[in-house]
Amino acid sequence: MLLLSALACTAVLSSLVVLLTRDNFYASMFMSAAMIMVATIYALFDLQPVFVLIVFIFVGALGMVTVALAATYRFAPGRQISWLWALPVVITAFILAFSVYAAQLAPLGKIQFALQGFITPEYLLLIIFLTSLTVLLLLSVLKMGLKYGDKEEEQEGGGS
Amino acid sequence: MQATDISIIYVASFAILLIGYLTAISSKDVIRLLISLELMFGAVFMSLIPLFSAISNPPAAFGIAILTIFTSSGELLVLIYAIITLDRQKKNIYTSSVTIGGDR
Repeated sequence: MLLLSALACTAVLSSLVVLLTRDNFYASMFMSAAMIMVATIYALFDLQPVFVLIVFIFVGALGMVTVALAATYRFAPGRQISWLWALPVVITAFILAFSVYAAQLAPLGKIQFALQGFITPEYLLLIIFLTSLTVLLLLSVLKMGLKYGDKEEEQEGGGS
Repeated sequence: MQATDISIIYVASFAILLIGYLTAISSKDVIRLLISLELMFGAVFMSLIPLFSAISNPPAAFGIAILTIFTSSGELLVLIYAIITLDRQKKNIYTSSVTIGGDR
């Protein structure tokens, strides 16, 4: 429980730094740290496959692209936040924490992870559909990009 | 998994989600918006942990986790592409430049 509390606190503090820092680069670095802490909590409960997925996909791929983007556009625009927002946030967090505490959640069973049970025709069909959806989504984005590139080239050709 | 562990996970998850929302509404550039979105997805991943012990069939929880991870990854990839396109079109990445929206 102590380790879980430490990991959760580190994740919350890292995300708080994301809110408070003005530099995009540091914000992305602390966001990656928060994500790694969330993934480590999975590892704490013996859910290593999910840890690997989050660390490889979210921190390894998307997190690094975000860090690269943040390093490219590394400037510090002023925040448009009114600190009055902190009040409803604190009230909401307090109500949520109290309701979770007051709910007296019954202890759940021990986590037993079985990857071999995942390979069933239903799940495979689901994964195939999901992969097809992602490919379609990325293809449409690629098409939009190519169309925009052609239009830009035409404008440059017309201008010169 | 003890009830205290579940409480800690849920409270931390809610806290990260609220911080993500605050970052999103306070951001003036789309990079910060992307970062806040990733934080929110982090909070969602965290709230999925008790599912692994609540559902009697652990592969179902793993399926839900995979679906969440891949869907959110696809969404973030599209947002990254949108940021690059916005920079090429508007020559800046401020959120104020996308308030009109639509084809013009």
